[in-house]
Amino acid sequence: MLTAEQNDELTDFDPGTPMGELLRRYWYPLAFTRELEEFPVKHARLLGEDFAVYKTASGRYGIMQEACPHRRASMSYGVVEPDGLRCPYHGWLFGLDGTCLDMPAERDDTNFKARVTARVGVAQEMGGLVWAYIGPLPAPVLPRFDVFVMDGVRDIGWADLPCNLVQIMENAVDPHHVEWLHGRYFDFIGRSQGFTAPASFQKAHQKVGFDLFEWGIIKRRVLAGATEEDDDWKVGHPLVFPYNMRVGGANVEQMQIRVPIDRHTTRFMLYTTHAPKGVPYPEQPQVPDYEIPVFDDKGRHRVDYVEGQDIMAWVTQGKVTDRTAEHLGRSDVGVSMLRKMFKSEMAKVARGEDPLGVIREPRDRIDLPCEKNKFHAGPSFALDFIEMASMRFSPQKDALKKLHIEAWEATENQF
Amino acid sequence: MTALHDPPVSPPVGGDTGRGWYPQDVQAHRRDAPRFCPGCAAPLSLADGGRGITTEYWTGADRVFVCFCGDCGWSGDIVLAARVIGHEPEH
Repeated sequence: MLTAEQNDELTDFDPGTPMGELLRRYWYPLAFTRELEEFPVKHARLLGEDFAVYKTASGRYGIMQEACPHRRASMSYGVVEPDGLRCPYHGWLFGLDGTCLDMPAERDDTNFKARVTARVGVAQEMGGLVWAYIGPLPAPVLPRFDVFVMDGVRDIGWADLPCNLVQIMENAVDPHHVEWLHGRYFDFIGRSQGFTAPASFQKAHQKVGFDLFEWGIIKRRVLAGATEEDDDWKVGHPLVFPYNMRVGGANVEQMQIRVPIDRHTTRFMLYTTHAPKGVPYPEQPQVPDYEIPVFDDKGRHRVDYVEGQDIMAWVTQGKVTDRTAEHLGRSDVGVSMLRKMFKSEMAKVARGEDPLGVIREPRDRIDLPCEKNKFHAGPSFALDFIEMASMRFSPQKDALKKLHIEAWEATENQF
Repeated sequence: MTALHDPPVSPPVGGDTGRGWYPQDVQAHRRDAPRFCPGCAAPLSLADGGRGITTEYWTGADRVFVCFCGDCGWSGDIVLAARVIGHEPEH
């Protein structure tokens, strides 16, 4: 339970708010690389602000305020030029750094151009996504987390959800929900709809634990029939502060990305790299992306797959969950730990320091801890993951299952 | 800080159950949450001009306030307990 004003502070991302200032210290994926190859400019919304994201013919990425500084027309309808983005309305041209390079209808002998600068961020590509940073300069280094840069077969499911980021992130430090939402409830739905829910999600929690580490919070669990020597405790998996969760198992490596579009909307992305051992990976000129269903044709939540169940639990709390009306128990200690982390990182930003996870030195690859033998279920967990979670909607679902089965046949020891 | 037994440690459950809200619990939280950091005495709550956060959870008859002070960084749990318990059996 929190006070109303604490809840507001935690969930308000507008510029100038403590949480808004904190979240503006990080890079976010705002487009698929594919999108800007198909058409070089698009609208994007982040932290309640609107932007135009674009790619020049020479392959440079840019992001600028959506409203043209001249007469406020949308730059997401702009003309992409070799050195920037030109407004479709009167042709004002802005460079990647926001400098106004051209004002076609104005006389050349004025200094008007020098007096109008657009607000810009920094953008670059990694792993099939276009990432942007809109905070104070100099921009930190874009972290190259393992999933985005490792070899393997990539796959991205996504959905835009009508709720606040923080209630989604609180789910990432809530191990017990797995046993119920993806265990008991999944079984209940399966029995009513005529399918068998995966048994690996139904194991009872014996113990949960949380550790702070350099990228966020590592979550651990001991399930019935397991010990602290099993991967779920010994390795665990992390909430990657402030908006990711690294999950996986059986060589399905995934980053769950939650982009705060605004206070009431979050883009949920499931970025997966399939990396089983002993098989060649097919070429992927583009990373496939696909929208996962949130509602059925009657407007009810789709709860017949793992992330659909998560989405139901996040969204039905309301656009911003009222934390004055919650009743937490000891099993929710991870939630209070995350709130403290948000608060302590807000304090760092207020002191002018870099918050957790902001890096200034480039690193080739950042490996994150993540279980291999998830739920001590063995390699078959990969098939459960593909068949019963969001990847069941992937256009390459069958090929992914085949990839894992061929790998098991080629190399017995997958862990 | 409120005395442990007056008003009672555990607020009455319920309230505006017609809407599913719990105004009595909200009131009890605001009344009983620690107001000052045990480490540096800075105010904890936003309402008092503090920069901390206090999350309340319940365990058994106890109310636990997980506190963080944004001024000095102190963090810890403060428990309002009706009874101090030593060892307890596995449950």
